[in-house]
Amino acid sequence: MTDGSVLPALAAALQPGTALACFVGVLLGTIVGVLPGLGPAAAMALVLPLTLKLGPAAGLVMLAGIYYGSMYGGSTTSILVNVPGEAASVVTTIDGYRLARRGRAGAALAVAAIASFVAGTASVVALQLFAPLVARAALAFGPAEYFAFTLLGLVVLANLTGRSRVKALAMVALGFMLSTVGMDPLGGAVRFTLDVGGAQGGLSFIAVTTGVFGVAEVLAAAAAPSSATPAARVAFRDLYPSREELRRSVAPILRGSGLGFLVGLMPGPAATIASFVSYGVERRVSKHRSELGTGAIEGVAGPEAANNAAAGGGMVPLLSLGLPFTPATAVLMSGMLLQGITPGPFLLRDHPNVFWSVIGSFYVGNAMLLVLNLPLVGLFARVATIPARYLMPVVLVLCAVGAFADNNNLFDVWVMIGAGLLGSAMRLLDYDPAPLVLGLVLGPVMERSLVQALTISRGEVSGLWDSALSASLLVAAAAAASAPLLAAAWRGLRRGVR
Amino acid sequence: MARRDLAGATALAVLAIVYLVANRRYALDTLAAPGPGVFPLAVGVALLGLVVCQAVGAIRSRGPVEPAAYGDKHGRVLVLVALLIGYGVALHVVGFQVASFALVLLASRVLGARDWLRPGVLAAGVALAVHVIFVLWLGVPLPRGVLP
Repeated sequence: MTDGSVLPALAAALQPGTALACFVGVLLGTIVGVLPGLGPAAAMALVLPLTLKLGPAAGLVMLAGIYYGSMYGGSTTSILVNVPGEAASVVTTIDGYRLARRGRAGAALAVAAIASFVAGTASVVALQLFAPLVARAALAFGPAEYFAFTLLGLVVLANLTGRSRVKALAMVALGFMLSTVGMDPLGGAVRFTLDVGGAQGGLSFIAVTTGVFGVAEVLAAAAAPSSATPAARVAFRDLYPSREELRRSVAPILRGSGLGFLVGLMPGPAATIASFVSYGVERRVSKHRSELGTGAIEGVAGPEAANNAAAGGGMVPLLSLGLPFTPATAVLMSGMLLQGITPGPFLLRDHPNVFWSVIGSFYVGNAMLLVLNLPLVGLFARVATIPARYLMPVVLVLCAVGAFADNNNLFDVWVMIGAGLLGSAMRLLDYDPAPLVLGLVLGPVMERSLVQALTISRGEVSGLWDSALSASLLVAAAAAASAPLLAAAWRGLRRGVR
Repeated sequence: MARRDLAGATALAVLAIVYLVANRRYALDTLAAPGPGVFPLAVGVALLGLVVCQAVGAIRSRGPVEPAAYGDKHGRVLVLVALLIGYGVALHVVGFQVASFALVLLASRVLGARDWLRPGVLAAGVALAVHVIFVLWLGVPLPRGVLP
């Protein structure tokens, strides 16, 4: 099953247990996407204990289903209620909600679902082609190359995340700090545990993720004034876009799919960035660009295609290099490690069934999502209106179960509560939690590769850039770090000349 | 914005200094065989450098003071935090199901439920569902507490 063709992947994904896991995953993902606040990373962390029972292939397929299913669900509330379920669907509110107010909600929802399906499927084709190629290239990676690549990824992440690069990098460093609690990854020394027995194995990634995303979201909901927006009702017969709407959607969907996949390869909130980039491109190149912002179908088709394609692109670095660059793929990696599977260049060789099941499930899951989303759209829209006073307490209990079940240890529940308070403080002080979570996951990778590279080079720091590949990656990281500063200096210079 | 950035930078600076002081317990050894203190030292110094940059930026910033992107019902948040801490303690004492029942019931009220019936039914349902799914099906040994 290493020829890269579609049939083996589909055969692996259509095993009854795997297909059922895929269905449950995409259904949960759609609901998570519909619910504002609770993002895919927190939801995936919540069901992690459940996926252990399912075995590697079905468990990971369910987690992946939640990840890309959430991209579908996010558009529903954007269009019907003007409340984006996901950050990646914020841009869909601009034209989607205006279309709904003009009585074209059904058409907008149908185009969003079709765009998501086309882009999701196209991105899997690209993933299936690229992931094995990148994995083969990654066999040339030694510790120095891994160190340089991870550094490059984190610098790019800081450039793309939030409003401040310095704050994003500070959160990465804080994540690194948290990752040093417990056993040192090479020497086995126990660090920063304050003699607490439960901390020896390190801070649970699931406890921290459910805390900074889930618990912090509940606390934010408690701080916010109660509000309920009635959802528009959409009858099944209204879900037919006109021929003109379909014709106008084709080019934005194709552009969004290509752009989304490429942006998805980059670290950071790729799905969100992809949707904004796609909207920006439509504003420049669309024949109907003057209508964008007033309820144009292009403003739904392009961004919805882009955010789904980005989810596929984000799988490439995880599956082929073992490096997750988004919180959701970090949870997926955590799920793989819990199942005894190490993602990276050897994944395809060592666990072909798991690799092809996950790839195949993207095809099957996208088809399921299309079938699910069109007829059940009204139901999903009503899910979004469940009052926070009933939903959020349930989220708290699920967070606690998820945190406890990671190691069957009450210490992790305290970690989750602490991470929730930290996450709330971060919101108040305008820090993004995503770089912290990635720092926590990538900290041991950075530490291990740095120590190994220095040991191999007998203490010569130049060992970090001795090979052409690691040198190029470090130069790229330096360029990425200095680019915004140089751009600011250039703008200042031009203002001075004027 | 500037005030918030300065507050964040100060908190992180204190954290970085405490972390670096704690890291003195771990050996640095040599570059050829780095000890367990090397990576934390690099991380602590990097964080300190970053928060200095952030503080300088905040002091030099002349932008308007932006309100925090957070609601204003801080009393509710404090009660919920107290409930969470109580929940953590209760897990040790009365076990997962009873503590979770109480958390859902009380948190629903804190978040605006006006009666006891619906939160009570929800809390019982959640406790039962958690028991069936996680204890009976998945075999997760959720804590039973110390009470008989």
